[in-house]
Amino acid sequence: MKSVLLNIHDKQKELDRTFDEIQEHQKNYNSFVTLLEKVPLKEETSSLLSNVCYALKDNYSTKGILTTASSNTLRDYIPPFNSTVYEKLEAAGAICVGKTVLDEFGMGGTGTTGHTGVVRNPFDTSRIAGGSSAGSCAAVASGLVPFAIGSDTGDSVRKPAAYCGIVGYKPTYGMISRWGMLPFASSLDHVGIFTRSVLDAAIVADALKGKDEKDMTTWDSSSIHLQESVENSKDQKYKLFYIKEIVEEENYSNIKENHRQVIENFNAVLEHCQKNGILVEGVSIDKDLLAKIPSVYTCISCAEATSNMSNLTGISFGPRENGSKIDELMTNFRTKNFSPLIKRRFVIGSYVLQSENQEKYFVNAQRVRRLLVEELKKYFQEYDGLILPCSSSIASKIEDAKDMMKKSDDLAILENHMALGNFGGFPSITIPCGKVDGMPIGLNITGNVYEDEKVLSLASRVEEIIEEEV
Amino acid sequence: MEIKFTHGLVDKYAKDLMFELTEEENQNVLDEFEVIKENMDSIAGMKNISDVEPMTHPLEYEDVVLRNDEVGEELSVEEVLSNAKDKTLEEIIVPKVVE
Amino acid sequence: MEYVPTIGIEMHCEMKSNSKVFSPAANTYSKHSNTHVSPIDMGLPGVLPTVNKECVRKSIMMASILHCEIPEVLCFDRKNYYYPDLPKGFQITQSHMPIGIHGEIEVPYGESTLKVKIHDIHLEEDSAKMEHLERESLINYNRAGVPLLELVTEPVFHSIDETIAFLEYIRRVYQFTGISDADMKKGQIRCDVNVSINEEDGSLGTKVEVKNVNSFSNIEKVLECEIKRQIQLIDNGKRDEIEQETRRYDEATNSTIRMRSKVDAIDYKYFVEPNIPKIKIDPDWVKEIQDSIIELPLSRRNRYQALGLTSEDIKILLRERTISDYFDECITLGCEAKMASSWITSIILANLKDEESSIEDFKVQPKDLAKLLSKVLDKTISNKQAKEIFDRVLKEDILMEKAIETSDVQISDEAYLDSLVKSIVEAHPSEVEAYKNGRTNLFNFFVGNVMKETKGKANPVLTKEIIEKYLQ
Repeated sequence: MKSVLLNIHDKQKELDRTFDEIQEHQKNYNSFVTLLEKVPLKEETSSLLSNVCYALKDNYSTKGILTTASSNTLRDYIPPFNSTVYEKLEAAGAICVGKTVLDEFGMGGTGTTGHTGVVRNPFDTSRIAGGSSAGSCAAVASGLVPFAIGSDTGDSVRKPAAYCGIVGYKPTYGMISRWGMLPFASSLDHVGIFTRSVLDAAIVADALKGKDEKDMTTWDSSSIHLQESVENSKDQKYKLFYIKEIVEEENYSNIKENHRQVIENFNAVLEHCQKNGILVEGVSIDKDLLAKIPSVYTCISCAEATSNMSNLTGISFGPRENGSKIDELMTNFRTKNFSPLIKRRFVIGSYVLQSENQEKYFVNAQRVRRLLVEELKKYFQEYDGLILPCSSSIASKIEDAKDMMKKSDDLAILENHMALGNFGGFPSITIPCGKVDGMPIGLNITGNVYEDEKVLSLASRVEEIIEEEV
Repeated sequence: MEIKFTHGLVDKYAKDLMFELTEEENQNVLDEFEVIKENMDSIAGMKNISDVEPMTHPLEYEDVVLRNDEVGEELSVEEVLSNAKDKTLEEIIVPKVVE
Repeated sequence: MEYVPTIGIEMHCEMKSNSKVFSPAANTYSKHSNTHVSPIDMGLPGVLPTVNKECVRKSIMMASILHCEIPEVLCFDRKNYYYPDLPKGFQITQSHMPIGIHGEIEVPYGESTLKVKIHDIHLEEDSAKMEHLERESLINYNRAGVPLLELVTEPVFHSIDETIAFLEYIRRVYQFTGISDADMKKGQIRCDVNVSINEEDGSLGTKVEVKNVNSFSNIEKVLECEIKRQIQLIDNGKRDEIEQETRRYDEATNSTIRMRSKVDAIDYKYFVEPNIPKIKIDPDWVKEIQDSIIELPLSRRNRYQALGLTSEDIKILLRERTISDYFDECITLGCEAKMASSWITSIILANLKDEESSIEDFKVQPKDLAKLLSKVLDKTISNKQAKEIFDRVLKEDILMEKAIETSDVQISDEAYLDSLVKSIVEAHPSEVEAYKNGRTNLFNFFVGNVMKETKGKANPVLTKEIIEKYLQ
């Protein structure tokens, strides 16, 4: 896929086009919580993002601009400070066209739970765009903007990217600062990037990365040059692995047609890779261990989220509710303004952190997290990356999209494996790999921590191969 | 020790979290709880994991720099109060907090 | 029946630093509300904590002073609960890996000492401040995020005196080391007090916690009334009515009142703070910190006792580190201990009180006092004369040497006078001859010459004796 960012020849024209189309876009897909005013082009900076339009997920603090996390608890919240991501984009001269819809606080996978309504998939508006970074994904998928910022806690950039046929990249944990990013689960949250090519994802990430003294979990990435690596990686030889227990059909009973096609597509991609010098091997990982992925994710994310959202009381920000007593005020606020889904997640989070449960649930989940991560790291010693399909199917119809916890079935691992990227902080990227039933599907490539240059170069190569063969 | 999941227990959890659930919401929690408990118990039931170090952070850091003890950015009083609905010139007002 | 109370203390003390423990806002007192607040202190959405190195340094110092085991890794936890003064809905504290555990410290107790076992010491942040009006409360976030050192003792005290002696000493240590100003008037110290009455067989009785006691005098009151309350119940055969619960002190009724029982106890759901990485504590840094610890008040007290100072004087000298350091410097410069002590405790401190200044800025520094007192010691001048010179230094703003020199002090240095007389006698042989031949009134000629040379300061008695010696 050619880079969009490197091929913008007339920035004024692009700016005009974007703002001309945005109202229609909003009507069709409902991507935005807040649309920003059109401003004239600024003085050019040395950045490739200078005067380029983008969309920003509404869980990034923007000083003086409404930031809601698509929650009623923040429907009138105006931050008095900027997130580092926004500051860097401003410094680069990029133009934010609006704050995009998410599943409330990032806690969802459908894009249907935001307080301003459902986001629709640009390929088929009767379907979801995926979540939680639904609006940012739709903004890029529809062609409105060349890049958008999302966040990824379990797969919230990488899955919607698959459902909407674009690139979704989640770098190594701590490569991009989370200062000002409204948290879901702090040990799993990552800044994520949507683009229409891997090279563009590298360009945007180069502009955003860096050690931030405001975020103790960031590290010095000044020796990492992503765009350069992708551009200079033409002749690299790579070795990939996939997990048999996730890919092979025999692991599934009553396999559905879409799923079969996803696997067929995946196998075809692997074949093309082999033909083009990328070695791909299937490995076996204990299925019982893999089956724990959704539970570990639920346990850790709900627990951390419950704690993170304890600041939402209506006392110093948020739409103040009534209450003659302070307890009433806080309770009314949280009762009225959290969605039922969020409340259910908090109950889970509270449950696993109770002192009598914490060791056997929460702390054990943290132990299993380590086991899963170490298992992957073992294979990363031998292979450059893990390649897997993002999902068993395409984006579901909006009316079928539910966020109720359901009993684990044999699809659970395939639908949730991308959380491994969050468990270990691994760099992980989704690239489009074809269509099933007219809807986009994607595949996911994950590598070892700090190896973003390798992962992006590798993904770019696979992206190229896919395009050549189609 | 088996915890029986009842409407009462769910209400208690909600109360501890400073919100209230409607009957329907309470029932939804109970419905999900079957699944949750099964999932959590599958983790709790894993053998030979008590020696594994819990993973509290995804990365390990070798050279973390602690912040120098210098005064940095502060909000102005107006900024502190900017999102509060009930305030004086200097403070945020809440209903009286009784110990 | 002799009742033995058992008491344990959790002492929270605001630390001294330029900025707060997890945010860069200033850690300072302000008359106005909400003037030193970072988004972090308000718990605004999306904020992240950053750890203040100086607060860690001071915690390690105190952990060392308490002879605690210091862990290899610096680690913080979240203590989760809802309260209007807790903006994040959790406090960042240390629960599973405090900066110091299993310590012990010897504290002065009367004329001897008391060994106190320490459960742990840990670093955490303070909550916001609320002002309660008739129908409303006002919230001020200036205090939110101020660094706190929480010191938890084992239940080792068996009397109010022991408890207070310990608290007074810790406060003194904090002030001496600069870890905290430990100013109770500014609300910098808050204690939770745990009290029980031992069973007949010596085992521990049911423990009752009294929270948030903000002065030592209130702690005394709390201990008195809570011990009395428990003893009364036991006397009436109602020991089982003493419940494990949390109470608070009510000043108006001078009693403790239940806040919540064990059953209602809050589950804080502690878990490791994910936004602060686990940080390896460099053992070299720990050693550096330990080597920098100044001499503690107890050690100084013992030294002063050995020097023969009165306990009154010792108490005054140990009121502030700067006073003790001043005294120690005087001793190093050769002053006699009791003399220096008496000068400092009565004359200098009286002066400082009037001027409202500190001993570090005082015009008379140890080297000046040492000069003055050495003259008293060698009897060159009297104590009275010394006081006059002292006053002149302060009033006339001149240097001590100048004041001594130009003072009405007698010169009584025998060796000096001897050599002076000798040189005068040798310079006037004819007068000596004449005197010896009966011109006795020439005695005054020699006296006059000595006086001229010494600007009138020669001790007349000695001078006469020496001249007589030379004119024999």
